[in-house]
Amino acid sequence: MMEALSFFSTSWMSPQLLGLTALGTFLGVYIGAIPGLSVTMAVSILISFTFSWDVNNALCLMTGIFMGGVYGGSRTAILLNIPGAPSAIATALDGYPMALKGEAGEAIGLSTVMSVIGGFVGIVVLAIAAPVVSDFALLFQPRDYLMLGVLGIMLVGSLSGNNLLKGVFAGSFGVLIGTVGLDPLTAEERFTFGVVELWNGISPIAVMIGLFGVSEALTQLHFMDKTAIKQKIDRIIPRWSDVKKYLPLSLQTSTIGVVVGALPGTGGDIAALMAYDHAKRVTKNPEVPFGEGAKEGLIAPEAANNAAVGGAFIPMLTLGIPGDAVTAVFLGALFIHGLNPGPLMLTENPQMFWFTVGNLTLANIFVLIFGLTGIKLFAKIVECPKGVLLPLILLLSVVGAYAINNSIADVWWMLGFGVIGYFMKQYDYPVGPVILGVILSRLMDESWRRSIILERESVPDFFINLLMSPLSLVLFISIMLIVVSKTTLWKQAKGRIFKSAS
Amino acid sequence: MKKSILGALVALSIVATPAFADFPQKDIQGVIQWGAGGSTDTVMRSVTPHAEKELGVDIIMTNRTGGVGAIATKYVYAKKADGYTLLMGAENPQMYKTLGLAKIDYSDFTPINILARGVPIFVANNDAPYNNMKEFTDYAKANPGKVKTGSTGKGGLSSIVLAMLDSQIKLDLIKVPYNGDGPALTALQAGTVDIMPAVLGASIEHIKAGRMKVIGLVDNKVNKLLPNTAPITETFPGLSTYLPWGPFFGVFVKKDTDQAIVDKLASAYSKASHNPEFVALMDKRGFSIMGIGGAEAVKFLESYRSVSSWIVHDAGFSKHSPEEFNIPRP
Amino acid sequence: MSAPLPRKVGELFFGFIVLAFSVFLFWQAYEISGFSELSSPGSVPMAAAALMVLAACINLLKDLARPTSIDTARSFFRVVLPPIVAIMIAIIFLFGIVLETLGFIISAFIFLLVSIQFLHKKGFIRSFLLSLLALSVIYIIFRLVFSVILPEGLIPERDIMAWIGSQFSSGA
Repeated sequence: MMEALSFFSTSWMSPQLLGLTALGTFLGVYIGAIPGLSVTMAVSILISFTFSWDVNNALCLMTGIFMGGVYGGSRTAILLNIPGAPSAIATALDGYPMALKGEAGEAIGLSTVMSVIGGFVGIVVLAIAAPVVSDFALLFQPRDYLMLGVLGIMLVGSLSGNNLLKGVFAGSFGVLIGTVGLDPLTAEERFTFGVVELWNGISPIAVMIGLFGVSEALTQLHFMDKTAIKQKIDRIIPRWSDVKKYLPLSLQTSTIGVVVGALPGTGGDIAALMAYDHAKRVTKNPEVPFGEGAKEGLIAPEAANNAAVGGAFIPMLTLGIPGDAVTAVFLGALFIHGLNPGPLMLTENPQMFWFTVGNLTLANIFVLIFGLTGIKLFAKIVECPKGVLLPLILLLSVVGAYAINNSIADVWWMLGFGVIGYFMKQYDYPVGPVILGVILSRLMDESWRRSIILERESVPDFFINLLMSPLSLVLFISIMLIVVSKTTLWKQAKGRIFKSAS
Repeated sequence: MKKSILGALVALSIVATPAFADFPQKDIQGVIQWGAGGSTDTVMRSVTPHAEKELGVDIIMTNRTGGVGAIATKYVYAKKADGYTLLMGAENPQMYKTLGLAKIDYSDFTPINILARGVPIFVANNDAPYNNMKEFTDYAKANPGKVKTGSTGKGGLSSIVLAMLDSQIKLDLIKVPYNGDGPALTALQAGTVDIMPAVLGASIEHIKAGRMKVIGLVDNKVNKLLPNTAPITETFPGLSTYLPWGPFFGVFVKKDTDQAIVDKLASAYSKASHNPEFVALMDKRGFSIMGIGGAEAVKFLESYRSVSSWIVHDAGFSKHSPEEFNIPRP
Repeated sequence: MSAPLPRKVGELFFGFIVLAFSVFLFWQAYEISGFSELSSPGSVPMAAAALMVLAACINLLKDLARPTSIDTARSFFRVVLPPIVAIMIAIIFLFGIVLETLGFIISAFIFLLVSIQFLHKKGFIRSFLLSLLALSVIYIIFRLVFSVILPEGLIPERDIMAWIGSQFSSGA
């Protein structure tokens, strides 16, 4: 125990490690906030950069970037409606409307505190239950991943406002966009029209920047005469009563975040979307409707995506299996530093576990510090005159799209989807479901095909085996419950329309 | 002072005069075919810093993923043959022509260095009722359509190894596709698939921890990391024409790059690939260091291409016959 | 929920485009592997495209049932695509076209200058200085701090950078 404590505090005691973690977290917040710069990319650049360093130093910097980066995505999502990373998409749904109402400061403050709470939940689960959770994560079969995907796509219902039909269209469109390129399983070309640049598919980040950032910027051009909203910046640190009020919700969604983060096939982006859906289902009477700046809609995804960080480390540290793209790069880094990542790593290097836990805790504290400082300055960005702000958003979108893969093709996709998104908004098509579909497309496509191959193309066998497995059964029942609850709601809504029409 | 005037002249001349002796004069771009965290990425990022020291400039590495590496390959091919853009890749381009993925392969590049080679093995779930290749093939024969194997797409390592096996014995297996050996090995531990061919390096730590077991070694001699596993040629002697065979990692420049530049890069990467730190790293991961360049590398590349292309063709999933490209039979 | 709103100008046309696009995608999805196997690469794209066609059809029928918009075709350019939006779309597309040939620094600077001048309307010097400031910040963050390689175009950045680097190293 004493030993664990001493490993835990390694990075707290050494000024150098402390400084590197702080630096990493600081950089991470900005990497996360800038669309197109991803944590995955930053960490892999750091691998060569820290090549000759001591492994602890390198890890401190990388952990900081990871923790800060996941949090940072919320910044631009709230302020500019451009999610810095896919895991911040759900944050933009209610965070940006808050900024439009002059509550950007409060939104950032609240999202920071809830991110940190989520981060701690992830770390605690990692510290006390890592082996249990990783064994649980391995229970998931392709059909269970498929059902997770279906659970996620149900969110279309919540994202489409009062026009489910257009939402279904947008969601299917997203799923289809996600399948463009060489099929990852058979290398068959899908929707590539013989163009090599399309083999790689359409980058979800390009679609995201276009649909959210550019289309919103173009829509804002309609309101050039309106002066920028004055931001209330007197209250940055959220009220204690608010924190207490939303604590149960953030703990629930943090749990979703840890589990989804720990699954080797899913990460923070899916966790955040599922958390948003959960919040929408359990919140009976939000003060402000969802999609118009509900605090619940901001808290849920922010707690979940930071909890997913701890979750992603669970299979990585215990089994050497990455929980997401970033931990995959971490495994590479550990290998380069001669640590032999794998199921034996903790036996061979027992200090690694508590060192990482301690480091994540430290990084999480720095998120709180860096997150709550400078908010006033950031909130000012939104007060910038539109004539200057909008060109800047557009330029940032172009650079961000280019940075994804150093390719001009992504810039074109981004611009294309920006214009499509603009027209969709004009004709009341929700754009949220499109990006939801893009993100879940691969999970659903691959797991569906794997599970049906495993059953030798037999649908009856698929359902028999589904009912035989307790885990699959639980997931299946949850889907059914949601469907049924949606149907009654839908009926009520239909009844209302009918009444008003007659 | 003289140096800085010269520098300014070089900097401002848009069409840089070829001064091969002074190569490199600016940062070099390294284009990695596979994603961050994958084995190609890891190998490249661990060898390149040693080469940077030799060359005295930075090599900025970017991952250009997609199309089983074809996107990166085509990108580098479209650049000038000036040695400032390196292709950092794995074995996949050698199959592009036969699989109809691209019209270019490594014969359109000059190898700087083939760094290392991996050894394929068969691994199985711990609960599988077989412990060696003989038992496995007997079991699969007795239970057609029951054994589930992980596969990593057409032209991937597992498909080629299974095609090799198929040339010796016909088995009815369920092939569950994964996009990479990482997810497939996870599925193996989860019991989703029973057995799969994988590269030793990706599975060695899981084997050591007892989370999966080795069934066979796809090589013609015993590997020092797996002293108790008999090479597959003992069960299927017919495979010896194909072996040794395995995925590899190499650094390339576009063909027709000036020989002086190739030599400079080759010497840097050759030294880097024999750096004790790098060698130790590769050893631990079960990769065999090759560190070859020049004619030797070209010969190795051709042999790999001929074996893989013909196996894939004979197994019936090639788009074009290797004959169309004058690829000789092994 | 009151009586169905009248159609927005161009909404019906948009509905037709959406439907035609969906049908086209369904055809493309079918081309991938036809109705061969449930696990074929085309299965999920086909299912998604089928849903798109279905949703687009019902939507179009619902739109047809709504009263015609009171606006004339000309008001499309007032309500849906005002000149300011159309011009900005054009400017940003032009930016995309010249990005690789002119290089990032030049094209982004011109883009900022033109669009700030066009939208902000506060004098040329001000636009010039704002563009310069914004561009330097973005260049420093992306190119220098996070070493994202932006299109070089006409300015040989790598050579200049190497030269600056050699100045420092020879000075040291």
